[in-house]
Amino acid sequence: MSDDNGGSHLRLLVIDDEPIVGKRLKQLFTKMGLGVETFTNPVPAMEAMERCPFDIVVTDLKMNGMNGMEVLKRVKDINPEAKVVIITGYAQLDTASEAFRRGVFDFIAKPFRLDELKRVIVKAMSGTLLARRQK
Amino acid sequence: MVGGIRLPGDVFLLEIIKGIKKIFAGGKAGGDVLAHPPAAVMFERFKDVLDCNNRALEIIADLGEKLSGDYIFDNQYIYDSMKALEDAVLQSVHALNTLCGNRYQELYGIYDRLTAHLHIVMAGREDRDGPMVIDLADISQAHSVMVGGKNAHLAQIQKDLQLKVPEGFVITTKAYHDLMDHNDLRKDLDAFESAMDDLNVDAEAIESLRERLERGVAAARPSSAFMLELEEKLNAMKALLGPEVMLAIRSSAQEEDMDFSFAGQFHTVLNVPPDSAAVFQAYLAVAASLFGKKAVRYRLRVFPGEGHMSIAAGCYRMIDSKTSGIVYTVDPADPAGDAMLVVSSWGQGQAVVEGRTSVDTFYLKKAAPHTIVEQKIQAKDTGLYLKKGGGLEARDVPEGLTGKPSLTHEQLGRLAAKALQLENYYRRPQDVEWAIDGKGDIYILQSRPLVISDAAAQQVSLAKALKNYELIVADMGSVAQQGIGAGPVYIVDTSQDLEGFPDGGVLVSRRDSSHFIRVMHKASAIVTEVGTPVSHMATLCREFQVPCLVNVEGILSMVENGMEITIDAEDRQIYKGRVPELLAFKTAVNLNVAAAKEFRILKRLLDTVSSLKLVDPLMDNFVPEACETYHDVLRFVHEKAVGELVEMGRDDRRLLKDYRALPLELPIPAGILVIDIGGGIKPDVQDDKVHLAAIASMPFRALLDGMLTPGIWRTGAANIGFGDFITSIVNVPADAVCGQYSGHNIAIISRDYLNLSLRFGYHFNIIDAYCSDIARDNHIYFRFLGGATDITKRSRRARLIAMILEASGFNVGSKGDIVTGRSGNMPKAEIMRTLDILGRVVGFTRQLDVQMYSDEQVDRYAGAFLSGDYNIMDRG
Repeated sequence: MSDDNGGSHLRLLVIDDEPIVGKRLKQLFTKMGLGVETFTNPVPAMEAMERCPFDIVVTDLKMNGMNGMEVLKRVKDINPEAKVVIITGYAQLDTASEAFRRGVFDFIAKPFRLDELKRVIVKAMSGTLLARRQK
Repeated sequence: MVGGIRLPGDVFLLEIIKGIKKIFAGGKAGGDVLAHPPAAVMFERFKDVLDCNNRALEIIADLGEKLSGDYIFDNQYIYDSMKALEDAVLQSVHALNTLCGNRYQELYGIYDRLTAHLHIVMAGREDRDGPMVIDLADISQAHSVMVGGKNAHLAQIQKDLQLKVPEGFVITTKAYHDLMDHNDLRKDLDAFESAMDDLNVDAEAIESLRERLERGVAAARPSSAFMLELEEKLNAMKALLGPEVMLAIRSSAQEEDMDFSFAGQFHTVLNVPPDSAAVFQAYLAVAASLFGKKAVRYRLRVFPGEGHMSIAAGCYRMIDSKTSGIVYTVDPADPAGDAMLVVSSWGQGQAVVEGRTSVDTFYLKKAAPHTIVEQKIQAKDTGLYLKKGGGLEARDVPEGLTGKPSLTHEQLGRLAAKALQLENYYRRPQDVEWAIDGKGDIYILQSRPLVISDAAAQQVSLAKALKNYELIVADMGSVAQQGIGAGPVYIVDTSQDLEGFPDGGVLVSRRDSSHFIRVMHKASAIVTEVGTPVSHMATLCREFQVPCLVNVEGILSMVENGMEITIDAEDRQIYKGRVPELLAFKTAVNLNVAAAKEFRILKRLLDTVSSLKLVDPLMDNFVPEACETYHDVLRFVHEKAVGELVEMGRDDRRLLKDYRALPLELPIPAGILVIDIGGGIKPDVQDDKVHLAAIASMPFRALLDGMLTPGIWRTGAANIGFGDFITSIVNVPADAVCGQYSGHNIAIISRDYLNLSLRFGYHFNIIDAYCSDIARDNHIYFRFLGGATDITKRSRRARLIAMILEASGFNVGSKGDIVTGRSGNMPKAEIMRTLDILGRVVGFTRQLDVQMYSDEQVDRYAGAFLSGDYNIMDRG
């Protein structure tokens, strides 16, 4: 449990129709120094993305209104640099190859340990921060 | 068949033999010996049972792990896992029946019943099935949904903690659903629930529906069947407590007091006369409050997307309280501190919780003797008291009490101790409502989680704070149940030690045991040197939510009794002393996790799957009908499968016909014939004898190592009066008169299995052991019976064996001169160690009965054996 990973300017968007996911992830990543916003509905989430792009997006794959693959496409349209992590349900990994073609940063399958997601996000953060420094 | 055992007068022994006959006869009338499959086939079938059991237990363990709070999972996961579990349990039942000639057909019916119930749980319809009213004393885990959280807690508090709660009964959610149907409210209710199911429901849009339901329930009519039952309960209360008894009708919604407090969301009606019309009216007010505006808003906030919630009501004796109030077991303003908070006033507590009166406030040290840190005594001119005929009224407090503290030191101490018991039991800080009556008795009216905001708990940077504490153990052991716990160390060696287990203690033991269940409601954590996260104990830990680390090497040498430690069974750390920051932090975090819908369904499913009621095979209730959960079924199947193997070695004639038995060459005259059913003997052995070095069976090697321990095997046996009978075992033919056991000493072995029948003239040992890499598959079964001397001496030896076995971690049963010991669910190394001890026991006690001329020797010999002093036999 490190208190700061130097990511204080990075913004994270969480979209999952199960409120507990957003709630848990907000708690976890706020402590790591990220600015976190959570949505249970992907439509307003994309509106928020358009207003002020996020650096990292964690989205559920199966949702009403818009699925995770569409979210991936919209996010990449708005901010090609954004890292998108897709949460898949139990045994839904078959969509992986298509998602990788479309530039997904990583997948994580439910059920997962919070630690596993944390590792993925830290990896995404360091990539983003490195890219910024190089600019 | 077992040859030549006939002891006229020894009825018990005859019973045993009859039992064995029955087993060999496959339960058929007439008792003929059925064609038994060859030993190797039996063993293969036994392993099939283990495989199925394993698959099922792994799924249960996996589901249980998800409850630990460190995972995110969804409904699909639960659904798929449950389907796989159903299949595995069914196959397990099937495998047992294949092993033992379909003797356990009734398990299929039990399986069907349990599975049907799980489907009801998964569909979230548990609240519609069961009694309309139920006595508080009759409430069990199975009723927890239909009586609501608050009542379920009161029942537990009374049953498990033996704290005083008011007498009463519960009007269940089944009655609520019947009421809705009886009053044609079902359609509105369905519409309301499905609207509430929608995550993005607009509270305004369902306002008219909500109002209609609230009004409809408030004006509902009862069914005559319900009124009859209600009257019956009220009459019983009047008969028990006198006709002047008055009642409190308190709400208890499904999730109330479980993970959320719902403080003040629902209605309570106090001081109601005990007639059915009045109680029903009060009940309607309570039930209607489920649809109250503020309660619905609260639900939308804490349970978004969950429309299904029903309400029960507790009908309790109204306590005429002299003093009442609340205890917070943690000061919410300082969750990391070591103080608890008590607020009290004269009269009824309603005034306190609603903030309607001046109160006294006490801050007490959490640690006994709960010294007062600070107190604020206010002038309390009025209090709420029971009004004649019903309801409450504000009255002047009795003369002279206004400025006096409303609690004495002695009362504060008692209250604090009870509140801490509750905190321990529910494993999180509690908000406890209590009352003290005219006799000075303390009643617990309610205990619910004290909600501490995340912000308060996370004020301090945890990582930084933790650096200030000394680590005893870092990154060691495996997590059996995640969580944080702190308290004084209490070391448990034998199950007797559990007697003195203190509230809030940390149980430290060499290995895990399902016996610990007896103190789990008191333990703040469990740490063991050996053990596995998939043992029965680990499952029980999850059920009781006891933080638990197993396989913490050397822990016994790092702690001592009474030493305060904090266990972080998540990051696998153990700290010296209390780490309040950690405890406060975890409290807040856990609350959020428990809130998820999936989490609650999974918890409920696991309640009906994984708890183990069928713990002790030595008890009379170890029968199929007593299985209440899948876990019980699996436990039963495993035990019976082992039982089937145990008896296999006794049919020596059959074995010798089926197999080539090789004599084992040993430096002691034990006369053992070896039958290898797979990998038990090294492949290059060509001889017609087996040398010790050629034994590849791990359990057999371990047992022989024990038997061959220097000093264990005495050869001088002259005292017994008929010579060295060791050598006679194989040679002397069956003697039907003197009770000597005949037949052969046969060891059926494979690489990881041993079944040994040892007949030593007048007594008989059976050892059955399986020892694989999967800890939960492993078992040791030991049976000892008989002897040549009189029953008193024989019983002394049996007692001695029982004592040694118990000290070695066996679950022991004994009757006269028969001792059975069971152990298992342990890693391979521990099984081997235990078999070594068993080998010594067999050797040590072989001729001991003739020497047991006084009771005093039993303790002395057991003590000597356990300290490695085997020469005591020569000294006498």
